Amino acid sequence: MSNLNHSNSRGLSRRQLLKHTACGAAGMAGLNAFFNLGLVSSAAAQAPGSGYKALVCVFLYGGNDSFNLLVPRDNAHYNAYAASRGNLKIPQNQLLAITPNTSDGSQYGLHPSCPELQSLFAAGRVAFVANVGSLLYPMTKAQFLNDSVQSPPQLFSHYDQQFQWMTSLPGSNEGFGWAGKAAELLQSLNGASALSMNISLLGANTWQVGPTVTPFAMGTNGPQGLTGFWGQQGQRRYAAFQQLLNRQTPNLFEKAFADTQKSAIDTNALLKTALDGAAPLTTVFPNSYLGAQLSMIARTIAIRGTLGVQRQVFFCGIGGFDSHNNQNQDQPGLFADLSACLNAFEAAMVELGTDNMVTTFTGSDFGRTLTSNGDGSDHAWGGVQLVMGGGVVGKDIYGVYPSLALDGPDDIDSGRILPTTSVDEYSATLAKWLGVQSGDMATVFPHLDHFAHPDMGFMG
Amino acid sequence: MGREQRSSTGAACSIGSAALVLLIQGCSGGSSGGGLVPGNDPPASEAQAARFLTRSTFGPTADEIHKLSVIGYTAWFDEQLNAPVSLERPPIEHYALHHGVGQEQRLEQWWKIVLKEDDQLRQRMAFALSEIFVVSDVAAALANDPVGMAEYYDILARDGLGNYRTLLEDVTKSPVMGRYLSMLKNEKADLANNIRPDENYAREVLQLFSIGLVKLNADGSPQLDAFNQPMPTYDQSVIENLAAVFTGWNYAGATNWDYPNENYLPMEPWEGHHETAAKTLLDGLVCPQGQTAQQDLTFALDMIFAHQNVGPFIGKQLIQRLVTSNPSPQYVARVAAVFADDGNGVRGNLFAVVKAVLTDPDAVTGNVDHPDTFGKLKEPLLRQTALWRAFAATFPGNKYKYYYPEDDFGQAPLRAGSVFNFFTPSFAPPGDIHDQGLVAPEFQITTDQGITSATNRFWDCIFNGYAGVSHPDSDKALLHLTAEIHMADDPAALVEHLNQLLMCGEMSQEMRGIVESMVTDTDAADPRQRVLEALYLIVTSPEYSVQK
Repeated sequence: MSNLNHSNSRGLSRRQLLKHTACGAAGMAGLNAFFNLGLVSSAAAQAPGSGYKALVCVFLYGGNDSFNLLVPRDNAHYNAYAASRGNLKIPQNQLLAITPNTSDGSQYGLHPSCPELQSLFAAGRVAFVANVGSLLYPMTKAQFLNDSVQSPPQLFSHYDQQFQWMTSLPGSNEGFGWAGKAAELLQSLNGASALSMNISLLGANTWQVGPTVTPFAMGTNGPQGLTGFWGQQGQRRYAAFQQLLNRQTPNLFEKAFADTQKSAIDTNALLKTALDGAAPLTTVFPNSYLGAQLSMIARTIAIRGTLGVQRQVFFCGIGGFDSHNNQNQDQPGLFADLSACLNAFEAAMVELGTDNMVTTFTGSDFGRTLTSNGDGSDHAWGGVQLVMGGGVVGKDIYGVYPSLALDGPDDIDSGRILPTTSVDEYSATLAKWLGVQSGDMATVFPHLDHFAHPDMGFMG
Repeated sequence: MGREQRSSTGAACSIGSAALVLLIQGCSGGSSGGGLVPGNDPPASEAQAARFLTRSTFGPTADEIHKLSVIGYTAWFDEQLNAPVSLERPPIEHYALHHGVGQEQRLEQWWKIVLKEDDQLRQRMAFALSEIFVVSDVAAALANDPVGMAEYYDILARDGLGNYRTLLEDVTKSPVMGRYLSMLKNEKADLANNIRPDENYAREVLQLFSIGLVKLNADGSPQLDAFNQPMPTYDQSVIENLAAVFTGWNYAGATNWDYPNENYLPMEPWEGHHETAAKTLLDGLVCPQGQTAQQDLTFALDMIFAHQNVGPFIGKQLIQRLVTSNPSPQYVARVAAVFADDGNGVRGNLFAVVKAVLTDPDAVTGNVDHPDTFGKLKEPLLRQTALWRAFAATFPGNKYKYYYPEDDFGQAPLRAGSVFNFFTPSFAPPGDIHDQGLVAPEFQITTDQGITSATNRFWDCIFNGYAGVSHPDSDKALLHLTAEIHMADDPAALVEHLNQLLMCGEMSQEMRGIVESMVTDTDAADPRQRVLEALYLIVTSPEYSVQK
């Protein structure tokens, strides 16, 4: 890869900041002060009682083959698609037609497993965002091939590309996600709530971690309490158990372990009572892992008033998208599950009257090769994402849907599509809707000013 | 920042080295051995023996602590190397003659082996390797093949104390890996139909099983270019070329490429499906045209094996799995040097490597030199094995029915969510560990959710799982606590005994006070309850959960 542009990188990473200060601690204090300034502007800018908002990320682990989710349907573009995809193509007559408000000259259809998404799109509740991927700078195919513009490091590696999606900082090891940084800025809107703004239904993730923000992780049955502390003997045991957790220790591992257990106990106490007191949802969710995660998120949104929170950010997702083999067998089930679960979640939001307050969006490691490896596709780069909710200006395709011709203007190699929308642009549009002010955008997305569309418009 | 700090520990390490020699020499001819032959290099104390066994086995037992204390490290290692290899696949195959088998039977065998069999070091290595060379029965392609999965684990056990090059080839040819990372039935390009070789195995064998993403120095630190950036070990074209190397493999004995009979034997080549064009691989090395599938595979695996990264890349992960999350660069370099040459000119000797990992000066004195950061969070599954081993747990009908430990611990053997394991070596939990530039991989599964389910699991396992429990669960393991019950009238003695057995004698005075008070406050007429209370508090405590 190129060495040419390393010195051009503008936003200094936290690690770089620390390297450039004489003392690590001083560097950190400086950074936190930076955040505090931001916190004042982003949180203060929200009118009191400006209302509840939540973001829900559905991460499709493994790299979703999204050019089979949103497919060109008119003959000319379909034929180019079909030629590139070979034995991975979806038959033209099976595509579920959609009609975007804005035409780019092509017609589009959805994978036949997604009738719910077709309806949600027609109802203006869903928008697609085309050709999103991690980038450091906008670049043309020629610039990529001749290394004249710096590419993100470790393209096509799952872990690195997930990390870049979540941090919006390719090449940085700082380890904070943009939702974590956004929560850092907006946390005060939740008043004195001890509950983290960021809640994960899928365990630890980088996206929701900020300098002082730690996501709360719970299972699909909600938070779990400790068992076995009944009666007098149980109370004695619990007191001793607590004493051990509260023991002052300089050991960082012991401290992190104790802090996690204490946080679990405190948050469980906070959430459990509220959840137990809430009326059940009538919306029925599909009996799948994603359905269970989204159902639990809906139940948590339902108790927002009891919790006294104004902003929440949820993380959930499923694996299985790394379709190197058996793609034609596995993809329909994955898409059907996604479509049905999103539909149920949107119905639940309507039921709760929160459909205008909650925006759901997808992320994924990367797109996949248009070409086939025999019975699947391999790691690539740009892909299509979707955004859902009452706040979304739906029934449209944002960004630029790429040429799917092999060796065409967007294909860098074997049907790996060069992204034309950066993860930063896609994510910043969502963060702005959540309440991050323009003056704070550079804190959350240090590379955003490399790109032309800090607000893509799909959130109005 | 942690990295800078760690690179300044060289002096401490060399002192540590001297200290190890003193410890070893100063303590020879320790206790009498009950038939055991005293060795030259016994541990300095039983606590040191317990500490060593916490890292090298699935948990210390009183007998093993005593034995190691007598025979010494060298004899112990040799005994472990020569112990018969415990295998999962043969008993499962035997069982399958008359029963349906599922992954449950594989789990049963795993528990039986790690709890009861003698080849503990080999099995601990196999478990560590199973978190590097990951396959998982979560994948639909493997869910219904417990026999194949068991054979895969047996490869890790057989090769775990052998040579890395053998391991790499056995893993590569395993049809279980072949299905998991889709090398099985991977075919040469069919340009007319825009079909090219599958890149899955080619990418992950480099990224995860051997050399990693960036060029490393011998101490595991990244090599930096003129712009202070890490240097990638390969680019996309290497992946595409290596993908072509790994074409033309199918089930052993297959007579039809598309519809082979499935089995667990090493995959075999089909030359007609193998790409024979020349391939340009790592650092421009060209794999010649016209070679057979096996010749290409040998060429590529030799190339990978010879790469400078393998020693530090694999060595550091083994240190992380067994000893400490944040080894010093010097520690990594010493282990990598043994990987490069075991002293007899052999590269890749994993027995020598694991010995180097476990006997390194840092392994001995790292906790003294860096008490706040040395060590690791124990894998929750290994807290369970340690508890059951320490108290010789027995299972009803000798059936080891604990089939879904992932529900409690977020992990189970060969059951990770992806090829990236339950946790990645670079994971840092938010807070001080992250802020100091350190990592703690096991915290990736120790979330609010994970920690609570593990704590609850231990409550159930202890208070409902002891010999003599009034309504024993038909599947539940039973702890044998006779010796401890006899000590229950002396809380201090009981807690100190548990401290030696479970915590390598490292329990703080404050913790000792808390546990002793709980024991004292529990009815003296119910000595078993006193033991259970102490056990629960210890096993769920931060101090016990962190291995130092």
